[in-house]
Amino acid sequence: MRKTRLAAFFAVLLLALASVVVAGCGGGGDSTSSGGGGETSSESGGGEPLSVGSDIPYPPFEQGKPGNYTGFDIELMEAIGEKIGRTPEFQDTSFETIFRDVAQGKFDAVISAATITEEREQAVDFSNPYYLSEQAVLVKEGSDIKSLEDLDGKTVAAQQGTTGLELAKEELSDSEIRPYPEGPDAVNALKAGTVEGVIIDAPVAQNAVEKSGGVEIAEKVPTEETYGIAVAQGETELLDEINQGLKEVEQDGTYKTIYEKWFHLEPPKEIESETHEAE
Amino acid sequence: MSEFFHQYFDFTIMGDHFSEVLEGFFKNLLLFAVVVILALMWGLILALIRQLPGKKFAPLRFLTIAYIDVLRAIPILIILLLISGGIPYLEFIPKDIRIPHWFGQPDPFWYSVLGLTMVYGAYMAEVYRAGIEAVPGGQFEAARSLGMSYGKAMRHVVVPQAVTKIPAPMLNEMISLLKDTTLASVVALGEAVLVSREILAESFNSSAVILAGAMFLVITLPAARLVDVLIKRNQAKVSRGAHIEVA
Repeated sequence: MRKTRLAAFFAVLLLALASVVVAGCGGGGDSTSSGGGGETSSESGGGEPLSVGSDIPYPPFEQGKPGNYTGFDIELMEAIGEKIGRTPEFQDTSFETIFRDVAQGKFDAVISAATITEEREQAVDFSNPYYLSEQAVLVKEGSDIKSLEDLDGKTVAAQQGTTGLELAKEELSDSEIRPYPEGPDAVNALKAGTVEGVIIDAPVAQNAVEKSGGVEIAEKVPTEETYGIAVAQGETELLDEINQGLKEVEQDGTYKTIYEKWFHLEPPKEIESETHEAE
Repeated sequence: MSEFFHQYFDFTIMGDHFSEVLEGFFKNLLLFAVVVILALMWGLILALIRQLPGKKFAPLRFLTIAYIDVLRAIPILIILLLISGGIPYLEFIPKDIRIPHWFGQPDPFWYSVLGLTMVYGAYMAEVYRAGIEAVPGGQFEAARSLGMSYGKAMRHVVVPQAVTKIPAPMLNEMISLLKDTTLASVVALGEAVLVSREILAESFNSSAVILAGAMFLVITLPAARLVDVLIKRNQAKVSRGAHIEVA
């Protein structure tokens, strides 16, 4: 008898706990949806709307709720739109079909952290690169390691499935390379001293330097990857306009402001001189 | 449907990466082998301390019970993360022990050994305890009345009988342990799951993960059958009038 009562007590306790958890989660969900992203899209551009496809979310490039999208790509596109007198209207879409859709005219342009590749250029035309993907070598503060080469032969961490891991495998043949499931795990291993360096996306590394401390960026390594804005093939007029807008945004400092806002880093100098021939 | 098969059962990908995944699986087996030996010993020590009689040992008994309960109650994942993320910071421990590289194995391997041994020691202590408690009290009393000390009675009479009762439940623990060695992937030990997920990231195809699962099946499935055989055999003994079976 006593045993059943005890069991019943625990059952009630568990049930109560579960309901508290469920209620908590519900509350959390509500608050995030009502909070919403910060900036609203600028209404100022005026002129003809420009429909832009993007695969949202992919923070910090694109994020936020419909009608309230924000992020590096979004703000950059809005700034470009302002220069060329078009108001971008963002459409959330899936990345697998994004190039086919822009080629077929579903949107005028695509800005979606899209790397310029030969394959994609078969289907669309790309603007000049607006973002250079950089990898950072993250080390402990005051470490002797000053560059990627210095890490050869050392124990190095990276995140599974990332460009950083590929870079480590290619460049550091004598190293023991540890692929952690998540970026922060790799940074923690560095802080704990079980690895001597981490190779990871520069914005992520910068975030770790600011928020966690005790680590510093030894070197930034540019990769071959550059991001571009895509338009349908043959839309040379629009492409020229976008390139012109991008150039103006870069020259008047708007680009730098947006870059620093989203990545907490100085933009690489090369970006201004990078051009790209649409094929 | 065909996309599903392509995603999970692409035999070309399985074939191309077979040796990589197998190498990872050997890491699982090595980890298992080291942990199983240590945990069997650690579990027996815990179980014996738990059985110590008298007031004198009450604090020790209490500590042991607390250890067993707590370690069984915390997810192994958390224990592994705490060990690999915490021990390196303990600067009073010499660096070679804090960040061990023994016998050619890197520190994630030894953190996993420590974590899994701590937890499985607790699990196995419970199995031993069930075995010890299933030995009829008369056996112990008879041994004592023959003039054996407590230690001798346990060593020569109780534990040898207890051990015959535990193979089936112990084997179950070992099957769980082998599967739980995959948790070492969170501390970046290059075992089968980590390797196959790496292949997934490169090829965007999950077949290597299935392959890793199949490798576990080859060991665990016969082991599970063996558990059944052992249970049947034990039941047969009981029905012939031998000792009561261990739950």
